[in-house]
Amino acid sequence: MVNAALAQFQQVFIEESLEGLDTMESSLLALDDGGDAELVHTIFRAAHSIKGGAATFGLPEMSSFTHEAESLLDEVRGGKRAIDGGIVELLLRTVDCLRGMFARARAGEPLNDATAEGLRGELAAMMGRGTAAGGLQARRPADQADAWTIRFRPHAGMLAGGNDPLRLIRELAGLGELAVTAELDRLPALDKLDPTECHLGWTIELAGPAKRADIAAVFDWVEGECELAIEPKHVVAATAPPAAAAPVADVAVARAQRETSAESGTVRVAIDKIDGLINLVGELVITQSMLDTFRDGVDASRLALLEQGLAQLARHTRELQESVMGIRMLPIASVFNRFPRMVRDIGQKLGKQVRLELVGEHTELDKTVLEKIGDPLVHLVRNAIDHGLELPAQRRAAGKGDIGTLRLEASHRGGNIVVEVSDDGAGLNREAIVAKAVQRGLIRSGESLGDEAVAELIFQPGFSTVAVTTDLSGRGVGMDVVRRNVADLGGSVTIRSTPGKGCVFTITLPLTLAIIDGLTAAVGGEHYIVPLVSIVESVQLKREAIKTVAGGGELFRFRGEYLPVIRLHELFGCPDAVRAIDEGLLIVVEGDGARVGLFVDGLIGQQQAVVKSLEANYRRVNGVSGATILADGSVALIVDVAGMVRMQSRRKVA
Amino acid sequence: MAGKQAAKGSGQAQAGAKAVAQADTGVAVVALPADCRIAAQAALKAQLAGGLEHGAILLDGQQVERVDTAALQLLVLLRRELDERGGTLAWRGASDALNEAAGLLGLARILELPAARPA
Repeated sequence: MVNAALAQFQQVFIEESLEGLDTMESSLLALDDGGDAELVHTIFRAAHSIKGGAATFGLPEMSSFTHEAESLLDEVRGGKRAIDGGIVELLLRTVDCLRGMFARARAGEPLNDATAEGLRGELAAMMGRGTAAGGLQARRPADQADAWTIRFRPHAGMLAGGNDPLRLIRELAGLGELAVTAELDRLPALDKLDPTECHLGWTIELAGPAKRADIAAVFDWVEGECELAIEPKHVVAATAPPAAAAPVADVAVARAQRETSAESGTVRVAIDKIDGLINLVGELVITQSMLDTFRDGVDASRLALLEQGLAQLARHTRELQESVMGIRMLPIASVFNRFPRMVRDIGQKLGKQVRLELVGEHTELDKTVLEKIGDPLVHLVRNAIDHGLELPAQRRAAGKGDIGTLRLEASHRGGNIVVEVSDDGAGLNREAIVAKAVQRGLIRSGESLGDEAVAELIFQPGFSTVAVTTDLSGRGVGMDVVRRNVADLGGSVTIRSTPGKGCVFTITLPLTLAIIDGLTAAVGGEHYIVPLVSIVESVQLKREAIKTVAGGGELFRFRGEYLPVIRLHELFGCPDAVRAIDEGLLIVVEGDGARVGLFVDGLIGQQQAVVKSLEANYRRVNGVSGATILADGSVALIVDVAGMVRMQSRRKVA
Repeated sequence: MAGKQAAKGSGQAQAGAKAVAQADTGVAVVALPADCRIAAQAALKAQLAGGLEHGAILLDGQQVERVDTAALQLLVLLRRELDERGGTLAWRGASDALNEAAGLLGLARILELPAARPA
């Protein structure tokens, strides 16, 4: 059974099963919260597919293990057993165990381990018997019949691969009496034929008692190279209605045809998005052919038409760009979905009661951003439950309900995605944070610090106020990692804490990493792009507004605070740049929690920049996050504001 | 391709793969090679295309020892092409191997192999 095609096939099965496990998990959690009976059916179906698939793909341990869970579910489904917390807990652990099994199946390791054996025993005990017995055949689709209809259509390339349908059919003939009908509907004309391609198809009636597995085994070698459907004509086992068998066969075919995409570098795109794209490209072609008519020259009478055409071109290009970006956009639900289980487990471990609210799960964001936002969110959610929410007794004492609320909310705000993690717990403990910071020598005393500044302290590396390190949090890795991860994505994290009322962490992220809105600034003969999100204001200063401090730094006063000046021409070594402060402009930017003024010659304008990676094309450069190509074909560097602020603060320390 | 042509094919044709033999009646005789499998099909197709010019083809399948789906597919297309042109396909004989393969693939009837024809 083991061959390359089957291995690919198995990958698809594992992927689908993992999705099934996710469904099982979320349904179990919903059931725990008092969901309806339909959820039981959903869970049952997921378990059933995994069991059936595992048996098909030569994973009998997994199949029999899932079978135990399925039997239990069947009793619940049939009303023989009421669902309770114990069953949900057991099944949740079953889900975990199956995930482990799939991971081992991928790695080619033995599937069973002690956990699996133990769980299997528990499941069996729950069912009131020692070991699994029978039942396995009961709900299998018909796998034995005395006559079969096999529809077999090789892909064109099958012959070239050395697989001859003739040999397969000859093998089938060994299983019983055959009546073969060739399907000639897809044959090309003789002169169009590539003799190495196969355009024939067959419908084969096989008479004689044969097992589905035996028939399928004949086609083992050509999985993925043909369309295949095996359907019983007469079902022997009366336990399953014949209709049930057909969809199973269809599913198998669909899987066989699907390109194996085990690698993570793929995106599933809704068909309407693709249709939209095709539509737009069509428009673009029309516009292009319209503009093509001006190839022979433009006279004044047709100038308006030309302008109209160019405007159309601009509009369609923009729309096309947005649509293409849209392909990469996925709902944040895929990240949010992991939290119900996590919150439940952590809450149980800490003896805290937590209600999780998820809002805006359908908010879409770029796949790259989506993949990287998971870890920071996990940190924040853990922190919120561990540090934020109180134990029921404390909550009662504070006049709040026993159950704490944790809320995850995603929304679009302008060109950004905003994800908020809020809890109604105790809020940040100012005294503890200040005390810890003093102890670690970060500050001298907390008296002069505002609440905001105190909150900022928890983003310091290694900062933790928890006396006892738990396995959840308190090890001091966390908030600084969260901030760094988010900053790497071009976003920011802020805290709003109200003592006794709770705490809100707000993550602001760009919609996409591929395009930024930026302000083009001239420095000498060069152009630099400053991301719009980080710009606070641009100001023109008088010479006397600049204060020079010891060590060579320059400061200027801006809204009551002194900010350092970074002269871009010095930093990047641009010749012929404006040097006098009153002749150029200062762009006040904010990044990494601090503000600085970037000194440039002047501003050219606002534009969207398609980000090209410097690292991929050259190498990493400090203070530069990427490059883009301007309308005239020249390259402009994109200023990395956060990186520049970090460079500035390092210089300050030095 | 008009005019009298010698019965010999090009020199590189291996043993058993006799090229178009042409009787004065305007019937092209094509002998199928002993190893009539996928690798031989490009050459066979060229031969058959030549034969099509004559409107009638007489296939000699007596030598065939090994045959595969690619070969039979090509023959089915030939059959169709001749039907469309109003030409005829006849057999000078067919080996057991050929008959068995055509039978298994459900193509014996359309090819009108000698064994599949009512006696």
